[in-house]
Amino acid sequence: MRLPRFNYLGPDTLEDTLDLLAFHRDDAKILAGGTDLLVRMKKGLLKPNVLISLKALKDLSYIHEEDGYIKIGARTPLADITASDLIQKKACALFQACEKIGAITMQHYRGTIGGNILQDNRCHHYNQSDFHRSGRQPCHKDGGKICYARDEADRCNSTCQSDGATALMALGAEITLARKGGERTVDLANFYTTDGIMPFAMESHELLKEIIIPVKGAQSVYKRLAYRSAIDYPIVCAGVLLKPSKSQKNKIEDVRIVVGAMSRSPLFLVQESSSLKGKSLTDVDAFKKAADSSMNSASTFAVHNVGATLEYRCEMVSQMVFQALKEAAQKAIDVKG
Amino acid sequence: MEKIQITLNINDKPCDVMVSPNDTLLEVLRDELDLTGSKDACSEGICGSCTIHMDGKPVRSCLTLAMEAVGTKIKTVEGLANGDELSDLQQSFIDHGAVQCGFCTPGMLMSADALLKENPSPDDKTIRKALAGNICRCTGYAKIVDAVAHTGNPQDNCPDCLTSSKPYKIQGE
Repeated sequence: MRLPRFNYLGPDTLEDTLDLLAFHRDDAKILAGGTDLLVRMKKGLLKPNVLISLKALKDLSYIHEEDGYIKIGARTPLADITASDLIQKKACALFQACEKIGAITMQHYRGTIGGNILQDNRCHHYNQSDFHRSGRQPCHKDGGKICYARDEADRCNSTCQSDGATALMALGAEITLARKGGERTVDLANFYTTDGIMPFAMESHELLKEIIIPVKGAQSVYKRLAYRSAIDYPIVCAGVLLKPSKSQKNKIEDVRIVVGAMSRSPLFLVQESSSLKGKSLTDVDAFKKAADSSMNSASTFAVHNVGATLEYRCEMVSQMVFQALKEAAQKAIDVKG
Repeated sequence: MEKIQITLNINDKPCDVMVSPNDTLLEVLRDELDLTGSKDACSEGICGSCTIHMDGKPVRSCLTLAMEAVGTKIKTVEGLANGDELSDLQQSFIDHGAVQCGFCTPGMLMSADALLKENPSPDDKTIRKALAGNICRCTGYAKIVDAVAHTGNPQDNCPDCLTSSKPYKIQGE
């Protein structure tokens, strides 16, 4: 498969990159690792006139801890994250998520964490070759007015299958978006539109610059289900952050449950999360109840568009959340001894 | 669209080539430089048969633009052998019958070579994890894993290691 034609620009500094983005706007796409973008371009899903490569922006590749926050440059390769002791110790869910993205020896050296968060939503009706799609009416994401995943849907129901985003949302991460003449920081949980066509609440001249993870003294776990681990995107995944109470022994102070690959964005389940506050770390029944409730909440958003049957995916939400909660609680108990 | 002249460092040799911005590294290697060892199979980063090394790390050349490879050290499967003498890993692949149709072999060799550089005596699980991104449609995985595990580390209980052929020479033109 050939790539469509485009102009290649390789700016040397962040300022130049933002200038170019401000000039080209929708005409341009950012090329970091290319493991998602180039596949889409080969399939004719995207035809940008300009690719702006981040190859020279080595400054955007770093991991360090500062004032109680872990800061990660958006261009940091996944391999650097899985090799980082800091991430493994203090943001374990992100470590576990990055370890499971694609094939270790392949995507990890090219693929970046920023690219993983900003990978476009997927749907098995849409992510097909030009030839496949040419045989039928275009869907919402393809510029038409039909949804093949859900009958009579008035909008696109593509699914966000990013491992990194699910884990980061569970960790309560924020992201910094830079543009010419300024930047803004947004909570990852508020970064998503409910539109499958353009799932991210960012402008075309903005560039994801940094990921900021608060270090809360909490345990985090990421669980993922996929058919073939090295090739496939997750069909269900869950990230959990669990903070044990300092004053009360074996009690939970705070929990964040995030379910991924079930909707247009990762789902932060507020109700299920708060239901576990004040519960015991060994209260398996409460975990089971929260997990079942997560399944019900997530099921209302899901459509049958990422491979496995919808029923199976929904049931597995409960399993993923339950396992993640149990493992996080066990880790909290082990740490306290 | 105009072609641009770039210099790529391939197998320790500088190569001047004219490329379009939309040429992948794999297309340049195969079509411009006649290095047809790296194979073009799925073209979308799934099968791993186009694996090459960029600065010592295995990457998929079908999803790497040629322009992005400027300034890096590229090694293809043609660069594994030392002159006309095969590397230990390649010899081991032959000894263990790890080559069937041969289409996945260049990618398998490059992934395994990167693993062995980092960890000269990996266990089975590590090898399988390292090769997880390479698909063999002949399904000859067991022999491939054996070949990697026994590279430079022949086993007394492995008949393939015991009957190892004499150092295999690459046939001349």
